[in-house]
Amino acid sequence: MNIIEVQNLSFRYSKAEVLRNISFEVKTGTFLAVVGPNGAGKSTLLNLLSATLKPAAGTVKIDGKKIGSYSTKELAGKIAVVRQETIPIFGFSVIETVMMSRTNHYGQLGFEKEADRQIVIEALKVTDTTRFSSRSLANLSAGERQRVFIARALAQDTPILLLDEPTSFLDLKHQVEIYDLLKVTQNRQGKTIVAVTHDINLAAQYCDSILLMTSEGNFTYGIAEDVLSEKQITEVFGVRVFAGKVKQQHFFIPLGKFAKDGGKTIDTQDQTPM
Amino acid sequence: MKQLLTKRKLIFQISLAFVALIVIMLACSLIGTQHISIKSVFAHSSASNSINPDYEIFMHVRLPRIILACIVGAALAGSGVVFQVLLRNPLADPYILGISSGAGLGSIIAVISGFSWTLWGRSPIAVFAFIGAIGTIWLVWFIGRLTGKSNVTGLLLAGVVVNAFFSAVIMLLISVTQSSKVYSTIFWLMGNISEEDIFVLWMGAGFIIAGTIALFYISPQLNAISFGIDDARSMGINTSRVQLVAFAIAALITSIAVCLSGLIGFVGLIVPHGVRLVFGPDHRQLLPLSSITGAIFLVIADTLARTIIAPAQLPVGVITAVVGGPFFLLLLIKSAHKTSWFNR
Repeated sequence: MNIIEVQNLSFRYSKAEVLRNISFEVKTGTFLAVVGPNGAGKSTLLNLLSATLKPAAGTVKIDGKKIGSYSTKELAGKIAVVRQETIPIFGFSVIETVMMSRTNHYGQLGFEKEADRQIVIEALKVTDTTRFSSRSLANLSAGERQRVFIARALAQDTPILLLDEPTSFLDLKHQVEIYDLLKVTQNRQGKTIVAVTHDINLAAQYCDSILLMTSEGNFTYGIAEDVLSEKQITEVFGVRVFAGKVKQQHFFIPLGKFAKDGGKTIDTQDQTPM
Repeated sequence: MKQLLTKRKLIFQISLAFVALIVIMLACSLIGTQHISIKSVFAHSSASNSINPDYEIFMHVRLPRIILACIVGAALAGSGVVFQVLLRNPLADPYILGISSGAGLGSIIAVISGFSWTLWGRSPIAVFAFIGAIGTIWLVWFIGRLTGKSNVTGLLLAGVVVNAFFSAVIMLLISVTQSSKVYSTIFWLMGNISEEDIFVLWMGAGFIIAGTIALFYISPQLNAISFGIDDARSMGINTSRVQLVAFAIAALITSIAVCLSGLIGFVGLIVPHGVRLVFGPDHRQLLPLSSITGAIFLVIADTLARTIIAPAQLPVGVITAVVGGPFFLLLLIKSAHKTSWFNR
């Protein structure tokens, strides 16, 4: 079953057309990566999928129903969003932040119920944030903070999880940790995950399908092996890449003017298996 | 889970703060040029028809004034909390969106027009200050909306521009009229707590208490809004409704406070910060505790204002600024030593 259906979606910021006639469908339980160069409209697409923006034309359907027909509260039961680097103006603690996703379920006088508490404990456990749950968000590292926001999204208990560049400020270890965590929630809880990312290698490694967007408003959609090829990436990003494959795992290394061999002679045959 | 606020903890804190407020109100009502004691106030004189002067002073002079300080302090601190979160700006105070200049313009117009009626015990100056305050904040909200629904910067800039424009109009009016009454108006605007009749107090208190309770009911939503409008919306908060309700209530209770006592600075800025530093940013706790702390703060400040140079009196706004300014700087320096601004 398709949990997200996008049909002929277009969007423009006053004069600049960002998305043109995009259509794709996401099966329930899929991990989709949205990749593409800066300005290709990845974040715009995410904002359209979360109803933060309204489309100029076309429709977004969630669970078979038009996204516009959901109330804010209903939609929050379907979709949780992790945005880039959100820092509140006040120093809320980790557990307060995660509990906030349950606001809609609070009882009288605005206090959480036992069920909310259980869900939050579970979300903290899954994201390995329990041990610093009483610390203030402002005193966490970027990787810790990102895990807290994922915990908050998980505690919202939705079938769909949208993430905007979840690993952009993180080092290699933390990038992998975040993707491992997402994969675990996909596998265990059957969540549908849509992540906007710049990291083609992580996308190729973890995601079931890829939406590759170009700055001209075109797109390619399909399974990772088909969409992410040397030719496609060179074309879309406007940079030469070295594409390789080790043990079924595709990888891509961008080559600049000053690459080791002058960026001229690299051939995919040169690779030595590790 | 013991790190989370519980209902029991909140009720305990509010009760404790409330008891502190009552004790301080009582204590302050005994201080003054005429020394009185609780005992003498409630002592029944043997001759039943004679008047107990201590009782008269307590009931008709000191207590009404202290109750006024209490409700005005609560209103300003409570709406300070709301403006800081709605504008996502720790430097916001209740007057930031033009209420001060609007109230000033209203009262100057009242003086120039020479009205001499009273409305529910309020002078034309106070009534026009109220209308000016409410009208201006509506105007700022309207202009802010034109720049975008969740555009906080637009709202703040609209406030700054309207403030500057109205201040210019005030200066213009003052320079062309040269009425001697203008100076008394300016003095009134500087913030004054004085004896009020019971009816005015009840009405003011009624609105301000009702407003604060209503704000308490949306405080979980205000917590979510601290993370920004988009984030709050994706957590299922109807942000436009919460913003509108919170904004309207905060503007109304601030304007009522202005109508009762002119412009008293610093209460709405420093009390929320002080309470946040001690108790954390959770609005379910921050809002009621700030209101009560604001009441305590203004009761004490007003007691100082009427006793320091007794029998003469200072405008209470002077005291709140003199005491509040350095205190605020202290908080600022203390919090700058932590990793982030206004992190608890």
